[in-house]
Amino acid sequence: MSLETYLPFMAAITGAFMVFVAFLVVRGEDLVYSSSSLAVLGMLNALMIAILGYYLIAAFLVVVYVGAAVMFIIITVSMLGGKSPEPREEWKGFFTAGAVGTAIFLLAATVTAYLGFTRPGTISSGSVAGELLQGHEAVVGIILLALAATLVEAISIARRG
Amino acid sequence: MSLVDSSVAGIALVTGAFLTGIAAYGMTYSRNFIRQMLSIEVLFNAVLLFIIVMSSLKPALLTAVGIIVISVVSGEVIVLVSVIAAYYRVAKSLESSSLEEEGV
Repeated sequence: MSLETYLPFMAAITGAFMVFVAFLVVRGEDLVYSSSSLAVLGMLNALMIAILGYYLIAAFLVVVYVGAAVMFIIITVSMLGGKSPEPREEWKGFFTAGAVGTAIFLLAATVTAYLGFTRPGTISSGSVAGELLQGHEAVVGIILLALAATLVEAISIARRG
Repeated sequence: MSLVDSSVAGIALVTGAFLTGIAAYGMTYSRNFIRQMLSIEVLFNAVLLFIIVMSSLKPALLTAVGIIVISVVSGEVIVLVSVIAAYYRVAKSLESSSLEEEGV
């Protein structure tokens, strides 16, 4: 049997772990451990995306999101103190959350059934760069400017006070 | 759409729906800013899964869109954490108002 036969099984295991780790992010007692769980969730999400066939997005998610953004969260939360008093309102929004999750699933399943999903073949980095730089130059330029402005904004906010 | 593709896509959709529900729960039950921000990040992971499964773009363009989305969200996270740190310096607390206090 080929590896492709096992993909649904691997996706199911990964999905179950993702739900468990997401629960740890939301319910963990210590915020530092919750932030660390977010890094694990990001890596599991990258695994799921790789199973879906988008290896470049998976690699980018690990390098940029988990490696930079989530690490920044973990370090900041560690400095602020992970065990600060945290008011909780148990079971509040539980049914709302269930309703939101169900509604989103039904909508997404309907759209996917209509559009269909096919795992892509090999996606070269050259073809992705071509998509970005041929016909979408203005978009890329605006995003680069916005990200630079975002960094300046973050630094100025953090230094204030 | 082959059986493997539809199975994997269905599992990803179910996972995304669970993550969306957990994120909504985390945002409503905790009044700590950091916990609410972490819940929003869980929601981002769900949305990224939805974008990939639901999109009808060609694979190379969808990969480019995914890279752009991840870049923008990473920038947003950095600003959000900076705002939380600045707020903590001023208020010495990370507690948000309860829904009842806001009349919800």
